[in-house]
This record gives sequence, C-alpha cells and structure tokens, in this order.
Amino acid sequence: MGRHYDVVVIGAGPAGMSAAALLAEMGTQVLVLDEQARAGGQIYRNIKDAGPERQGIYGGDYREGLAVAKHFYASGPAYENKAVVWQVDPEGRICYSKDNQSTRIRANYIIAATGAMERPVPIPGWTLPGVMGAGAANNLSKDAGLTPSGRVVLAGSGPLLVLEAALLAKKGVSIAAILETGPAHPPARAVPKLPKALLRWDFLQKGLFMLRDIKQSGAPHYKGVTGLKALGSAQLSRVEAMAGDKSLGFDADLLLLHFGVIPNTHIFRHMGCHMEWDTLQQYWYPACDAWGRTNFERVFAAGDGSGVRGGPAARYKGQLAALEIARCLGMITRDERDSLAGPVQKALVHDGLPRPFVDAMYAPVPGALSFADDTVLCRCENVTVGDVRKAVSEGVRDLNEIKIVTRSGMGPCQGRMCGPALAAVVGAELSLAPEKTGLLSVRPPLVPVPMAEVAAMDLGDEDASAGNWLLDKK
Amino acid sequence: MNRYRNFPTDVSKHNKSGVKESVRKKSMFKTDDSGHTNQVSVVLDGRKVDLPGDASIAAGLLGQGELISRISPASGKACAPHCLMGVCCECMMEIDGIRQRACMTRPARDMVINRHLDKGRENRQKEDPHGPSL
Repeated sequence: MGRHYDVVVIGAGPAGMSAAALLAEMGTQVLVLDEQARAGGQIYRNIKDAGPERQGIYGGDYREGLAVAKHFYASGPAYENKAVVWQVDPEGRICYSKDNQSTRIRANYIIAATGAMERPVPIPGWTLPGVMGAGAANNLSKDAGLTPSGRVVLAGSGPLLVLEAALLAKKGVSIAAILETGPAHPPARAVPKLPKALLRWDFLQKGLFMLRDIKQSGAPHYKGVTGLKALGSAQLSRVEAMAGDKSLGFDADLLLLHFGVIPNTHIFRHMGCHMEWDTLQQYWYPACDAWGRTNFERVFAAGDGSGVRGGPAARYKGQLAALEIARCLGMITRDERDSLAGPVQKALVHDGLPRPFVDAMYAPVPGALSFADDTVLCRCENVTVGDVRKAVSEGVRDLNEIKIVTRSGMGPCQGRMCGPALAAVVGAELSLAPEKTGLLSVRPPLVPVPMAEVAAMDLGDEDASAGNWLLDKK
Repeated sequence: MNRYRNFPTDVSKHNKSGVKESVRKKSMFKTDDSGHTNQVSVVLDGRKVDLPGDASIAAGLLGQGELISRISPASGKACAPHCLMGVCCECMMEIDGIRQRACMTRPARDMVINRHLDKGRENRQKEDPHGPSL
C-alpha cells in the first residue's frame, strides 16, 4: 500500500509552513514535501540555522520567519526535505524523488505552495559565467554566507533589486553601478495608488531606508536605462548600457539581474489548472477562489505561486487554504472556519495596502525591452531571439509549435527560463499581447529524473501491471 | 546504499586539465562567517575537495572560486549557476552518476562530482571544429 495523507503540502516556504502548521494542529494527517534541505522557502531561506549576524542583516522581514518556522516544527506535520515533486495529478497522486529514489503517494487534498521565481529577461551576454539573478546572490548569502568579493553591477527593475543593492551596500560590497531599466520618474499610474499605500507608512519607510543606504554607498545609480549588455569572453568582464543618450560602461566581475518576480506555475500548468493572465504584472497565475481553490476541487494554490504578494501575504494565504480544507475534511464547521479566517483575511488586506502602489511603480512596461536577434533566448537549447523570429516569419504562430520547430523550451528547465520572453517575442512579431500566444505545455517529470529511477519506483497502492500509467496518463 | 560510490574517475587526467586552471580565478565570493565547521570531503573532477556540508554543492563550489558548472551541450560554452533556486538547471552536474542540480543538492562524504569540463571540449572538437551544433 502506498502512503495516503489527508493533505500534502508542496513547498515549505511561508505559505506551505503556515498551512501545514495549522492543519497539523487541527489533527489532520499532513505531509510537507520540500525541495530544499531546510524549510523556509526563498524569503525565509535557512532561517532556522542563520546566526544572529545574518538575521540582523536581513532585518525584521527575515526574522519574522523564525517564528513561522518554529511554529511549523512544533506543530509536528510529517515533513520530508530534499523531496522533489515531479508529477502531480488533480486526483491526488503525487510522485516525488528523494535521495535518488522516487515514490508515489496519494492525498485527499493538495496545497501547492511552490512560490515565485525571478522573471527571466534575456539580454545580450546573459549566459556568460558571472551573470546571475539578484535573488541568486541573496540565496548564496542566506544559505552559505557568501558575499560578492569583486565589482558588482545590479541591473533591471523592481523592489527586490533595490533591496539587494541596499543589502550589498550595507555589507560594503564594491558596487560599480545600479542600472534601473524602469522609468526615470514614477509613472503617472502610481500616483492614485499612493494614498492607500501611505496607510502603511512603516512599509514605505523600509523602501526609503533602502534608497538612503544606496545613496550613502556612493554607487552610481541610473534610471531609465536601456540597451543593457553583458560583455566578456570566457566570463563577464564588462557591462554596458545607455541612459538616455549617454552610453555607460562598467568593468565588472558580477552582474546581478532582476526584473521582478513571477509565480512558479509549472506544477499548476502540468495539472491542467486554469491559468489567468495578470495584465499589469505580465505573468500567468492559477485561477483561485478566496481560499486558494483552483478549478480542481481538491487542489489549492497558496503563496506567491498563486500571485506574487510577498512573504506575509503568503502566510495568510496558506492559512486560508488550510482552514477551508479543514472544513472540507470535517475538522471544523463552516462557522468555525469563518471566525478563524476573519482575522487572517483582515491581515491580508492590511498587508496588501501598499501593493498596488509598488506594483504600479515597478510594473514591467510591455515592449520596453527590445530583444536583439543574436541574444540567446533559450539558455538550455541555445536558441536565439532571431531563430524564433525566423520561425514566426515562416508561419509558425503557437508557442508549442515554435518549441517544436526551434527547441526553445525543450531543455532541462522546461521553458522556465525562456517561456515568458518567448511569449513576448512571438507576441511582438504577431502584434499580439503575450497572453494570446498560448502557454508552453508542461509535462512530467517537472524536473529531470533518471528513467532508471522512474522504472524502479514504488507505485504504491495501484497495480503496477495495469499498463504503463506514466505514458498512458498523458 | 550508493551504487555510484566507485564510479571511475581519472585523477591524474583531470588534475592536469587546462580548462580548470584557466577558469580558476580568485573567488568571486567571500564567506561572511569565520568558516564552516562542518566540512565534507568530495571528489570533484577526480580531485579531492572539501565543501561546506551545510550549503548546496553549487554554493560550496562558488565559495571556492569554482564558477563553471558545466559545458552546455547545446552551445559548447561554459555555464555557471544562474538562479541558485532550482529553476534554470545551469548547474546540472553529474553527482554520484546522476545529472542533478547542484544548487538543490547537498554534498555527502566521498560523493563523486563530475562537471566534464574538458570532455565537453574534446567532444565538440571531434564533432564540429567550427563550434556549437544543435
């Protein structure tokens, strides 16, 4: 017999930990599967083992995670780390790999709390060693205590770019330049959102402190930057860009790119969840009700994976999903669910007050980034923007057809790194909005798993001789 | 438990690899802490290396100035870890005989890690002297 749980939570970030803690406390049989070695997700990465020094650098937003993690461990859900989920279906069958062994289990309810990722934006030279995501630098610091030792250029847009720049400035890292691709002046659409954001002065103040830290570091800070380029032969040596008519150039050892954050949607797309397009933020997210339920009755989305709202909101969304599932399982009544959910929903609204302003400030401007033909679009398969344009000019229109013709999106990352830009490039060629070009199909395994491991796996309670379920399924 | 522990590794050959020397510059990162207490000895490209046991393999290697993670089979060019959160697959290395994301894998004692940095180059030259081929 394969293992069976009331609820399986995928991901142990703020949403997954909060959901699992609540469910475990209410007495449900809950299992948390997390890809990482330690609970925390990206924002609370390594929170439990980070010493006071690291916790100090990352401030209150990071330290909040300590209480969340403590609550999570104390509530005692079943928890498997380093467990990589590579197939899920809406009927509750989950396959995951841990220590090079795959297992299939079943769940009555699934909460997918797979979080967010940095929006990948191809620029010339972004495949050079020495070009990384700003979030990558943040993770290296939280996880391994690594700080860039050479000259660093930060480029892109979004609040997290400013945050990372401020963190590096505070640590005394040599910042060669900060190149913001966003508009030089706050966009007009942000102004009407400001009054609501001012209700969360504490939040806005954090942003102002970051900008002050950056200013004090004396790092050159440009806005409205275009034509960003990473240059070098074996690895990065220089970053060039334009600020208005002025050409900029900086010798650099490390270029940290960041263009905002988008939901990690592969797991939802693979299950066949209905996806919706966020026009302002230009990303896909799974359609959910107020509890996080997707179009599948027993599949819930929680946290940034269901729409990027940040760490605290992810915790609240995790709790709301847990409460609704507890009601469905008969652990609490509808009235109990509503009275427990009340304060959480209120906190969610309060947390979200500054969000429309921040979103409007940093929203990607469609068409602002022009992609050059020789820029690598698909890193895995080395497909350029020009290759894709050629396919479109030959009459290929749908993203999945373009994938077949060009191989863009066919590599091990399965289109995670090229998908968004691919839609933008194809959309621009066809004069269509990116969401009209379709979405790359996602197939199991969600991450590379050796076939030998799949062949050797324990199929649990189902008869292994009843056909090839892996191939029959899709 | 691990059937890949005795995977063949040509220590001498890899040690003399020109590729490795050319990319081993000063470390791009420095360590905040006074030092990792828990060091794990692994075999990297046939050479014994100590990695911090409480960080991912990708992070541990970056901390030692090992920037290059693999040679892209598509472009033939050197790759380095890019996202450090399991998304981009640029840090795929042969770890105990299986291609795995080094940023999502912790080192274990006597683990055998092969990046095939020189093999990529040899194969490429054999197949196409003019560079990458798809």
